[in-house]
Amino acid sequence: MSDRSGQTWWKRAERFGRALETTLITVILGGLVLFASAQILLRNVFSVGVTWSDGLIRLVVLWLALLGTLAASREGRHLTMGAITRWLPQRLQTVTGVTTDLFAAAFCALLARYAVTFVLDSREGGDTLLNGVPAWWLQAPLPVAFALSAWQFLTRAVLRAFGRLAPPQEVGL
Amino acid sequence: MILGAIALLLLTLLGAPLFAVIGTSAMLGFHGEGVNLSVVAIEFFGVSETPVLVAIPLFTFAGFLLSAGQAPRRLLRLTQAVVGWLPGGLAIICLTVCALLTAFTGASGVTIIALGAVLFPALSEAGYDEKFNLGLITASGSLGLLFAPSLPLILYGVVAQAPIDQLFVAGVLPGVLMIALLSVYSLWRNRHVPRPAAERSVAALWAAVREAKWDLPLPFVVLGGIYSGYFAVSEAAAVTALYVVLVEVVFLREVRWRDLPRIMRESTVLVGAILVILGVSLASTNYMIDAGVPQQMFAVVSQYVSGPNSFLVVLLVFLLILGAILDIFSAIVLIVPLLLPVASQFGMNPIHLGIIFLAAMELGYLMPPHGLNLFIASHRFGKDITVIYWATQPFLLVSLLAVIIIAFWPGLSLMLLH
Repeated sequence: MSDRSGQTWWKRAERFGRALETTLITVILGGLVLFASAQILLRNVFSVGVTWSDGLIRLVVLWLALLGTLAASREGRHLTMGAITRWLPQRLQTVTGVTTDLFAAAFCALLARYAVTFVLDSREGGDTLLNGVPAWWLQAPLPVAFALSAWQFLTRAVLRAFGRLAPPQEVGL
Repeated sequence: MILGAIALLLLTLLGAPLFAVIGTSAMLGFHGEGVNLSVVAIEFFGVSETPVLVAIPLFTFAGFLLSAGQAPRRLLRLTQAVVGWLPGGLAIICLTVCALLTAFTGASGVTIIALGAVLFPALSEAGYDEKFNLGLITASGSLGLLFAPSLPLILYGVVAQAPIDQLFVAGVLPGVLMIALLSVYSLWRNRHVPRPAAERSVAALWAAVREAKWDLPLPFVVLGGIYSGYFAVSEAAAVTALYVVLVEVVFLREVRWRDLPRIMRESTVLVGAILVILGVSLASTNYMIDAGVPQQMFAVVSQYVSGPNSFLVVLLVFLLILGAILDIFSAIVLIVPLLLPVASQFGMNPIHLGIIFLAAMELGYLMPPHGLNLFIASHRFGKDITVIYWATQPFLLVSLLAVIIIAFWPGLSLMLLH
């Protein structure tokens, strides 16, 4: 009983996480298209240039990349070299899959941990970006994204170990 | 250290995400030097200091949106009207349409999935044999990486800090050469297939042009805008994305508003998967350059290599092996920063190097064990991977010939620049 309700709680959290990712991606990418287009109009037609806009666009691209990373972690769609494992027996594939997921989780967790150091140092140093915005606000998504990615890889490892992981989608790159 | 390297290699072979492998190797390296590991996070944040990068999410989104609508079908019809009446016309159509679509999506799997369902039965109906058709479609899936505004071209420009507008020009003739050689092979191979029944028809051409009236301005927006100096590359990307949204969602209504989030997510997953590798590679490259890896590579290479020509031979062999084991995006991000200083010692032009690099890596899509096109085509057409592999062989050899010409004839890449 408690097991089942635990699972629904967890599934709900997953669904919420995915929907939140998609919403943020839509808002950020949509905003990027509009903002970058508007900037051209301003510059060419009205000869208005906004000094911080290029810096903002570059930051937004980083955030979008982090969201994409997180989404790719959730869906198991990161770039890999793995071709050998396709020919391994199913049981062995599970073992290698769990191993590589755990490895990726550990790396993401470690990177998140050192990203926290980076952000805290930046706060202490009082760094600013984009005409006076505290840099650490803009850098904070970095540790968050990798912490969540670590969680995703960990989840995948557990699901895979218990044979609950949905088969990967055929994806083209 | 060596133990760590072996463990990482093993994890890579077992299919660990490449960004985690590259990031870990950077961490091991910095740890060995006693540097605080927050340097990896700092380097990763450097992604936000890289100019032109914004072109990548914008062009990718535009490409995914285009292929979600009816644009591939319109492109097919237009090409059919232009060359469909030629002998072997359908094979040329296949090559051209796939190349143009791949230039925009930068994602060969998308091309095979979007067009394979239409092209495969059409080819069979026209009397081409199945083996040829499988090989043709699989090989066509990665053509077009040399045409603007393909993702690998932009990524190379970003990583090599080479002018992307010049790369766009430099890719044109080598890309055309590849299509031309493959077309000649297709014509020769199918010389016994009867001429197509389709007649040359001005009316059909006009209808196809009218149908594609919204798509046709796109290349002019992208290339015209950039070459006239009106747009920077990143601005052209923004205009392209906005234009495709307006056409596909507002004017033609082939894609519904509510499908946009899904398409945006799809394209962002690809962008994220590439840029996370770029981020960790900024750290690992930095470490390797500090450790003098390019100089050591140059020292080793120059023991065996006497001049530019023998360097090119070694380079080609290296790139072909690289392409067989690594996808094009990871290869660009990881290898180009180390390769560039070595190649420049041998007097290679960075633009030419970029074109060779991409052309050679394009073949990797067709080579086992990693060859992505082989897997996608195998999945798409329900054939065993070995069947696809043998069907693709002749196309692989013809493409190899094209790559060799591209490598040893720098003028082909550079003549339009002067």
